[in-house]
Amino acid sequence: MRNGKTLLLLAAVALISAACPTIDVAAGEAQVSEIEDYKDSRYRAIFPVSEKPNPAGVGMQPTAFNHFVHVKKAGNCMSCHHNGITVACTSCHTMEGKDEGGFVTLTAAMHKRHIAQRPEGTATPQSCISCHAQQTKSKPECAGCHSIVKPARSASSCAPCHNMTPSMTTEQMQQGSAGTLPDVEKLALASATIKAREPARYLTPEDGPYKVYIDGLSDKFGSNMYAHRRHVESVMEKLADNKLAQAFHANPETLCATCHHISPLSATPPKCGSCHKATIDPEQPGRTNLKAAYHLMCMNCHKGMQVARPVDTSCATCHKPRATQSLTMDSQSSGQGSITPQSVN
Amino acid sequence: MNRRKFLTILGSAGVVSALSTAEVKAAGGTHTFPYYDGSFGVLHDTTRCIGCRECEKACNKVNSLPQPKKPFEDLTVCDTRRRTSAYEWTVVNKYEVNGRQVFRKLQCFHCNDPACASACFAKCFQKQPDGSVTYDGSQCVGCRYCMIACPFYAPGFQYDEAFDPLVQKCTFCEPRLKEGKLPGCVEACPMDALTFGRRSDLIKVARARMAKNPGKYADYIYGEWDAGGTAWMILAPAPGAAAKPDGAMQALGLDTHLGNRPMGELTYGALGAVPMIVAFWPVLFGGAYAISKRRDAIHEAEKEAAIKEIKNDMTYAVNSAAHKVAETHGQAAADTVREAMSEAMQDKGGHN
Repeated sequence: MRNGKTLLLLAAVALISAACPTIDVAAGEAQVSEIEDYKDSRYRAIFPVSEKPNPAGVGMQPTAFNHFVHVKKAGNCMSCHHNGITVACTSCHTMEGKDEGGFVTLTAAMHKRHIAQRPEGTATPQSCISCHAQQTKSKPECAGCHSIVKPARSASSCAPCHNMTPSMTTEQMQQGSAGTLPDVEKLALASATIKAREPARYLTPEDGPYKVYIDGLSDKFGSNMYAHRRHVESVMEKLADNKLAQAFHANPETLCATCHHISPLSATPPKCGSCHKATIDPEQPGRTNLKAAYHLMCMNCHKGMQVARPVDTSCATCHKPRATQSLTMDSQSSGQGSITPQSVN
Repeated sequence: MNRRKFLTILGSAGVVSALSTAEVKAAGGTHTFPYYDGSFGVLHDTTRCIGCRECEKACNKVNSLPQPKKPFEDLTVCDTRRRTSAYEWTVVNKYEVNGRQVFRKLQCFHCNDPACASACFAKCFQKQPDGSVTYDGSQCVGCRYCMIACPFYAPGFQYDEAFDPLVQKCTFCEPRLKEGKLPGCVEACPMDALTFGRRSDLIKVARARMAKNPGKYADYIYGEWDAGGTAWMILAPAPGAAAKPDGAMQALGLDTHLGNRPMGELTYGALGAVPMIVAFWPVLFGGAYAISKRRDAIHEAEKEAAIKEIKNDMTYAVNSAAHKVAETHGQAAADTVREAMSEAMQDKGGHN
C-alpha cells in the first residue's frame, strides 16, 4: 500500500469533519430559523449517494431540485414517490443500487426513458426524463420540434440539472455522497443554486432573417418564400409561459437547433445545402437529399404541432407554380441565381 | 448389336439418367443465388410517404406508358387497393395503421433470386448484377407462368394486344441506371421515401433510422429476407401495442409468410430435371418400344416356320395313307380320302 498514508489521512479528515458538526451547525442555524423543516421546504439537493468511500469528494454534480414547482405541477406525490412513502429517492436508489430499491440505480431511477408498465394496482414509477418526455410529446407546442429532435446526451444537456453552485465544498460533496450531509446544508446549497439560475436570453425573432427565399432547387415550381420570422415568433409565443422549456432550453440558440440541427449552436448557422445535396451522396447514404430534407422538416413539425394546414400533398400552398412558357429556361438556370438577398439552398 | 448388348446399354443409360436427375435435385436443395456484391436497391420508408403519386407520374413519363384514365393529380385513386398492370408498373395504395393514413408504393421487388425467372422456361427474366430483374420479351411465349410464380403479383400482361402480347413490369429503370441516372420514381419522390443505394448500405440505413427514432418503426425490414431477399425493401410504422407481431406488415398488405428462402428453391429440383427428361426419355422409351417390336417379329417368324413344318408332316402322312388306300380299295377311294383330309386340314388351318 504505497498510498496507504494518504488514504488514511484523507479518511481521518473525512471522519473528523463528519464527526465534528460544530462549524456546520453554526453556519446552518441561521437558515433553519428562516425555513422551518427540510420536508416542507421548497428545494432539495440530490446527491449521488454511494456505498463506496469517496475520499476525494468527486462524482457527478448533485442536482438542485425545485420540489415546490414539481409538487404543484404533478399534484400527486405518487408519481415520483411510487411506493407511497415520501422519503428521499436516495434512501432506496443509490449509485450502486440497494435491495430496498430493487437494485435500480439512482442513475436509472432518474433517467430511464421507457419504464415498463407495472401490474394493475401498483403505481408505475416515473423518472425525471420519462415524465418530461411525456410532456414534450403530449403538448403540441413542444411536439413539433421534439418529434424531430431528441435531446442529446451531451455535457450541455446534463448541465440544466447537474449544476450545483460552485460554493459547494469538497467536504460537502464527500458527505453528500456518503448520505451524511445535514439537511440544512443541503437546503442552503439547493436554494443558492436555484436562486442563482437565470433564464437563458434567447435570440429574438428579429435576430433571424425576415423572409427566406428557398430557390436552390426550383424547377417545376418557383422559389419558395419561407416566413422565417413569423415561424420563430409563433413558436416563441407559444413557449412564453412554459416553465419546462425555460428550464431546459438553456442556450440562446436552442430553439434554432431543431431546423438548424447537427451543426454547433450559432446565430448564423450554415445553410441546409451545406450538408444536404440535391442527390444523395453515396458516401452518406443515410443523409436525405435536399428536397426531402426541407419537406421532412416542415411536414413533420407541422404534424407534431397539429397544424392542419397545408395538406402534405397540396404543393401549390407553399410553392407558386412557374409560368409554363418559362419552364425550360428556368429549370436550366435553377440552382444558380438567388432572387433575393436572403436566399438559401 | 444383339439383344443382350442392347439391353446392357439401355440399363446402364437408365442408371446414369436416374443418377443425374438425383444430382439436380440435390443441387436444388442447396441452391445458392450468385449474390451480386454492391447490387442496388431502394428503401421505401412508408412513414415518409405522403401519397402524392409523383412516383407514378414519373414512372409513366420515363417509360412512355399510356396516359391513365384518371389524372395523377387525382389522389382518391389511392383509396382503392390497386395492383400493378402492364401499363401501370407502380401504384401507391392507402392503408390505415394505428388510425393514421399510411401509403405504400407497389412495384416489382426485384428479388435477389426471382421466382418469375425460376418459372420461365424461355429464360426471359434475368437477375442483373446491378440488382434489377430484367425481362426480354423476344422469347416470351405468353404462358404467364411468371405472373403465377411472382409472390408479389407484380408482372402484368398486355391482354389488349392481339399480336405478340408481352409481360410488363417495373424495370428498376435499368436503362437509366446504365446512364448513371436514378430510377424515375426515386428521382421524383419529394420526401426521400424512396432511397436509392447499395442494398447492403440500405439495410444499415434502415437499422440506423430505427435506432434513431425508437418506437417509430416496426422492427422489421420487409424484403431483407422475405422470399430470399429483395432489392426493394420496406420500412413500416410501428403498429401500436395491441397489434400482433407481424401486424405492421399485414396492415400494409405485405405477406410475411413467404419464408426467407427464394421461391424458386421449391421448384429448382423438379424443373432442373426437365431438360434431362426431355432429352433422354424419348431414347429410353423409343428403345424399349423397338425391343418389343423386334421380339414380336421374331416370335411371328418362328411360329410361321413351325406351322409350315407341321403342314409338311401332315401332307406326307396324308399322302402315305392315301397310297395305302389306293392299294387296297382302288384309286377312286384314295382320291376321296385325300379330299376329305385336305378339307379337314384347311379347317384346322383356318382355325389357327
